[in-house]
Amino acid sequence: MRFDRDSKVYTVIFTFIVSFAFLVVLSGLNVMTSQQVKKNQELFMIRAVLNAMGIPYTSDDEAIDIFKSKVTMETKDSYNLFSAEVDGEKVYAILFNGSGLWGNISGVLAVNSDVSRIVGIDFISQSETPGLGGRIEESWFKEQFRNEAIVNGKVLVSTTKVPDSKDDGQVDAITGATLTSKSIEKIIATYIPILKSLLGVN
Amino acid sequence: MSDFKKILKNNFWLENPVIVQILGICSTLAVTNNLRNTLIMTIGVTLVTALSNFTISAMRNLIPRKVRMITQVLVISFYVIMVDIVLRAYAPDVSKALGPYVGLIITNCIIMGRAEAFAQGNKPLISFWDGFTAGLGYMFVLVVVAFFRELLGFGTVLGFQVLPNSFPKWTIMVMPPSAFFVLASFIWIVRGMQIKKDVNQPTGGEKK
Repeated sequence: MRFDRDSKVYTVIFTFIVSFAFLVVLSGLNVMTSQQVKKNQELFMIRAVLNAMGIPYTSDDEAIDIFKSKVTMETKDSYNLFSAEVDGEKVYAILFNGSGLWGNISGVLAVNSDVSRIVGIDFISQSETPGLGGRIEESWFKEQFRNEAIVNGKVLVSTTKVPDSKDDGQVDAITGATLTSKSIEKIIATYIPILKSLLGVN
Repeated sequence: MSDFKKILKNNFWLENPVIVQILGICSTLAVTNNLRNTLIMTIGVTLVTALSNFTISAMRNLIPRKVRMITQVLVISFYVIMVDIVLRAYAPDVSKALGPYVGLIITNCIIMGRAEAFAQGNKPLISFWDGFTAGLGYMFVLVVVAFFRELLGFGTVLGFQVLPNSFPKWTIMVMPPSAFFVLASFIWIVRGMQIKKDVNQPTGGEKK
């Protein structure tokens, strides 16, 4: 019986025991690290909120401290609205979610109190083409949005060269990643009305 | 001891899983546009191949023949999920950069190939070594491909700028098709060297 490796009973028992043993180890490991994983995800979000609001920090620990002391979070109409005072001005931020070229793009969009300018934008997760659309995570792209005026409820991500003006509501798109650039434009255009209604401005 | 040496030489050079056996090509194409990600990915593959080989070999006398392959996949995915969990918890930035590729280690043919071809019929320790060296052979090829792709595509090596800014970046190098060009050229060069050596070896009158 013990060495009749091809009997049905042995096969079933063997499969069961092996699957069970591996599963127990894996679920144990998962439970052990779930706290850490949750912390990491929170950290990604905290860093994105601070980046979008333009609050500087030097380390992860400092980021958490600043977030806890300066940023307040409230839930309005099922959206999490973050607010903080930066250089004497009230700044609001919202988590966004939208579709890019290949998949979901999520991040944080920060605006000033009358939603006339974007304070900043940062991304938490994206799966755009590495080296092309993926470059939305590079600072030159994100910095273009810093203090950019919102014109007609949106910021145009233009595929032609735009002047370096903060008042025209236009930023440069990424060469070779027009669809990703346009997705960002669309996401911003979707979330500005939401921010306006949350903050009660027109 | 010479067995270990022979396995190393075979897996790393003579029967390199990527260059000679043309296994694991998907991941070779997918993760090689950035040297740092490539290194982490290949370390993951090496560990998984070595450990799953060890485990499968240790229980090879207990595995019923009918469910042999299922058991191998189970062991492999066990280690891959472990790598995924550890990365997610302790190297979140890396885990984010690699995205779904970590989970896809499971489908890397090299691991399954070594399990079926070697671990199934050999003792645990030497199976571990076999998996480990096969992983190293894979790592060697991917690192070379990634080095050239990152250098020409971004002008950097491991994120450090090495080429002057005036160097026109080859955007194609960061896109998937370039992996075909770089890998194919690399296989061409290495196979050329290997075959030349075969031809030059005196074979004692025997026709090759």
